[in-house]
Amino acid sequence: MTSGSENIFDELPGELLIWVLIVSEILVFGVGLIVFLSVRLTDPEGFAEAQNMLDRTGAGINTVILITSGYLAALACHWTRPAERARRRLALVGAAVLGSVFLWIKGSEFLAKSASGIVWDTHPFFNFYYMLTGFHAAHVIAGVLLLLVVAWRDHEGTTADAVAFWHMVDLVWVLLFPVIYLLQ
Amino acid sequence: MTNKALHTAWVSLIGLSIASTLLSLPETGSHWPTASGLVVLLLAWQKARIILARYLGLSAAPAWQHGFNLALGALFLILSGLFFAPLLG
Repeated sequence: MTSGSENIFDELPGELLIWVLIVSEILVFGVGLIVFLSVRLTDPEGFAEAQNMLDRTGAGINTVILITSGYLAALACHWTRPAERARRRLALVGAAVLGSVFLWIKGSEFLAKSASGIVWDTHPFFNFYYMLTGFHAAHVIAGVLLLLVVAWRDHEGTTADAVAFWHMVDLVWVLLFPVIYLLQ
Repeated sequence: MTNKALHTAWVSLIGLSIASTLLSLPETGSHWPTASGLVVLLLAWQKARIILARYLGLSAAPAWQHGFNLALGALFLILSGLFFAPLLG
């Protein structure tokens, strides 16, 4: 039974602040996607044509990479015993490496678009494409750094927070990927 | 959360991601864009629910999990409405 002195926020796993961040990010990217699909209403054919210039298979592969990175981070959080310290750190470094691979593929995608003359003002679609996926990539950079820091200076609490941040990055990509790359 | 639950979540996420990508390729999705769009959004919602429940641990806080699922469901409902609006016009 829950006593009156207990707070409903105590039920949340991990730090309350990380959940505030998760909700904020879902709201920011959610609103971004709503505005994206609202602007699409003004020119659905143009948006479909612009979207066809994206590499769906490459983005799908990047999704698998990010999800696998999230899996390694979740395993790291699960291995909390002192005897499991080496494998925990290895899993965190592995997650960071896969996050870096995601960034490398994303960077290559941006460079290829730019080289073929597709920039942010080529079409309104690309305004949102660069803004939303670029903002997400900035979060991936922050996440990779956090994972490396907690792999180096590991502590159960800070590791859990860094891993929760990484799962938030995963969650945001799960929202962005279908709307930006897949829906026609 | 057991190792097996994390592994099952990872396999499910990979499977759902591959399925949504395959559904959207011109060779498959262009034959039935409306249905494939709806399925892609439903798969994305399911993936988000798995990440929240298994990776972020909300399965241990059912009330919060329910609240997040409802909020994400509302977001996907809005996104679906905006996606299908041009098809109705």
